[in-house]
Amino acid sequence: MAAPLLELSGITKWYGTTRALGDVDFDLRQGEVHALVGENGAGKSTLLAILSGVVAPDKGTINIDGRAVTINEPSKAQALGISTVFQELSLAGALTVAENVFVGRAPTACGIIRWSELRRRTQQILSAFGIEIDVDRPVDRLPAGTRQLVEIAKALSLDARILLLDEPTSALTSNEVAALFAIIARLKSRGMGIVYVSHHMAEVFRIADRVTVLRDGERMTTRAVAETSIDDVVRAMVGRKLEIFTAEATLVQGPVALAVRGNGAEGKSRHLELEIRFGEVVGLAGLMGSRRSELARSLVGLRQPSGGTAIEVKGRPTRLRGLRDAMARGIAYVPDDRKAEGLFLSMSVTDNFVVTALRSFARLGWIERAAATAAAGRAVERFRIRVPSLEAAAGKLSGGNQQKLMLSKWLASDPAIVVIDEPTRGVDVEAKGEIHKEIRRLAAAGEAVLLISSDLPELFAISDRIVVMREGQIVGDLPTPSATEEIVMALASGTGHKLEGEAA
Amino acid sequence: MSVDEVGRWSSRVGSRVFRRFVETRELMLLVLIVAIIVGMSLASPVFLSLANFHAIAIGMAPTVIIAVGMTVLLVSGGFDLSVGSVLALASTVTALLLLSGASIPLAILGALALGAVIGLANGIVVTRIGVNPLVATLGSMSIARGIALVLTEGFSLINLPPAFGWAGRAEILGVPFLLWTALALVVVFDLAMRHGSFFRQLYYIGSNEKAARLSGLAVDRVRTLAYMLSGLLAALAGVLLASRLMSGTPTAGNALELQVLAAAVIGGASLRGGEGTVLGAFLGVVFVALINNAMTMLAVSIYWQMIVTGAVLVVAVALDMLVRRRDD
Repeated sequence: MAAPLLELSGITKWYGTTRALGDVDFDLRQGEVHALVGENGAGKSTLLAILSGVVAPDKGTINIDGRAVTINEPSKAQALGISTVFQELSLAGALTVAENVFVGRAPTACGIIRWSELRRRTQQILSAFGIEIDVDRPVDRLPAGTRQLVEIAKALSLDARILLLDEPTSALTSNEVAALFAIIARLKSRGMGIVYVSHHMAEVFRIADRVTVLRDGERMTTRAVAETSIDDVVRAMVGRKLEIFTAEATLVQGPVALAVRGNGAEGKSRHLELEIRFGEVVGLAGLMGSRRSELARSLVGLRQPSGGTAIEVKGRPTRLRGLRDAMARGIAYVPDDRKAEGLFLSMSVTDNFVVTALRSFARLGWIERAAATAAAGRAVERFRIRVPSLEAAAGKLSGGNQQKLMLSKWLASDPAIVVIDEPTRGVDVEAKGEIHKEIRRLAAAGEAVLLISSDLPELFAISDRIVVMREGQIVGDLPTPSATEEIVMALASGTGHKLEGEAA
Repeated sequence: MSVDEVGRWSSRVGSRVFRRFVETRELMLLVLIVAIIVGMSLASPVFLSLANFHAIAIGMAPTVIIAVGMTVLLVSGGFDLSVGSVLALASTVTALLLLSGASIPLAILGALALGAVIGLANGIVVTRIGVNPLVATLGSMSIARGIALVLTEGFSLINLPPAFGWAGRAEILGVPFLLWTALALVVVFDLAMRHGSFFRQLYYIGSNEKAARLSGLAVDRVRTLAYMLSGLLAALAGVLLASRLMSGTPTAGNALELQVLAAAVIGGASLRGGEGTVLGAFLGVVFVALINNAMTMLAVSIYWQMIVTGAVLVVAVALDMLVRRRDD
């Protein structure tokens, strides 16, 4: 048997003290689609980054056609025939399709771009794969799915033999997915090898020949799709032992604090109904593209709820006019991106803490420094935020302490309802535990908490109920004790399990 | 303690003191200002005279007033190129109103209102429509100057009622009223930017606009008000200038916006927003005014003064960048 197109063995990668990949083997044959699946943080992205020359592995070898190669730069990957289509598209919006496909490599004569030749070549590539796009259109004007195809055409124009696709369908409609799959089939028949990273089990089982499961940076299994089942793959993905600190179930639950009622988008009979009661933590699970962040943002007034849905605050139908309106009604939103959306990195710990309650620290428009500092000091103590001083810039704190500061800052405004998005991303284990305890404490104090997290063990550890979303609708609503990671994953990825949650 | 240790200790303390010195921009400027005053007193007999200081104070008062508004804007992450033109427009509009028979308070109020309206327009175009501040205020700079020239056909308006000249001439305790006004504004706004709950919001907005929005600050409203304040203060400077010159001058304040920006940045404000103090900007204006005055005293050509001011600006900002890079 000929050597595989691509063969990785013993790939290991450490980031500081965290092992992203440990001794991973992987191979790709000609004319094959090899799916790579795993939960967030399983190591898929790191493996793609290594293959595309963005990061270098600490250990392990990479062979192409049986010959050892080093991929130390993105340009080297290109030269070896490896093209990557990342999740975040890298297109120049104002330029045309043709210019984007041949970025930096447009045919020229004496330094002047030969436009007709550029168009002709782009057209050639596009029609070879049955993609129909006007090559003179600025990329900005194309629908998201078509942009994805431009990105793929760009990869193809590099004469790639190995194509890496990272969640290629997360922004596509079902028609666009069908078009993409037709193109993938054509590429396969020409002998191209494709690595397909996805969360969607149904898609993986439709398009892939083999599937490799990563978990916590290790390869769990590699199987031919024909010889395995979605259940087996999901089990391999989540099979870890859970270190659960089990929340004491809240005994007394109050009235409904926040609710979404109605059907989801555009005439499709979509189910979107959610209730959060005072005194409980509701965990919201869902994969990329499940639109759960959109739901969260509409609950705090940052976007219009999708057509046909209405929001109720404390039992009354409410039209939230914006975040300030939501805050005035006692709703706080803790965003997921602490650096870009949460903190003022160059400002002091105290400044960061008081921002949500500036007015309550002021008398006649004058901020009472002493009161502000004292309150910040109490919060630092309560949340055990480790800071050099209250005047230190927030940017100097570690990730976990920044996260705690962010949480404390929103709680300073004394909300009754808290929506928290990914509270422990990139946070060390100890800080994580403290944040979990703090969230439970909120519920115990009678507040209503909606927790959005991609970290399943986290959801299980602190939620009273787990609500699962897929493609903009709620597909499950389970009391935590009766849920398992398998059930949640199956619901989230839509693998045909029809499990009716008791509460739904 | 061995000699070696003492050496290391002193150099560590030395570098810490140096850093603190460079970091606290106000302190650095204050020292430089004192150095210039001492140096010039030795070099020129005329420098350390009441008449000279009087001239410096009167000359820089409008710049100081405008620098206050500019600093408030810079901290919020915006800036305003129209201030020089608004000064000229306010000065001509005051003169026009006075010449058409309006009372002095009415003429002044009219000019101030016009400045605030131009600032409001800048603010709305920037925050609600999302036009880049450079483009928006470049446009209003040209428009305001154009209106001033159209209204006057390019000529200065003279023969203003003598009582109007009071503000430009008056002295209180031997200090010009113009300087008192400028100093009062510096003190009030410096304190407000440090302790006022409204003005503190500007630091949050300039430091991370998205986070400020998500923290529930009324970002657009606050930024619009900052533009209004800048327009209002520019108009006030224009009215005071008209009073001092006893004329409405459509060509006044040419390139003033760049001088003010330079002074504010020398004083520690950043074009990226989120930092800067009114006190620093004030000291920046004083510093630049003293350097220019010193060069005049030493009979350096006015053209050289531009070169020196530019060099001082770049050196001050470069020094700041170097210190920060070493910190990171």
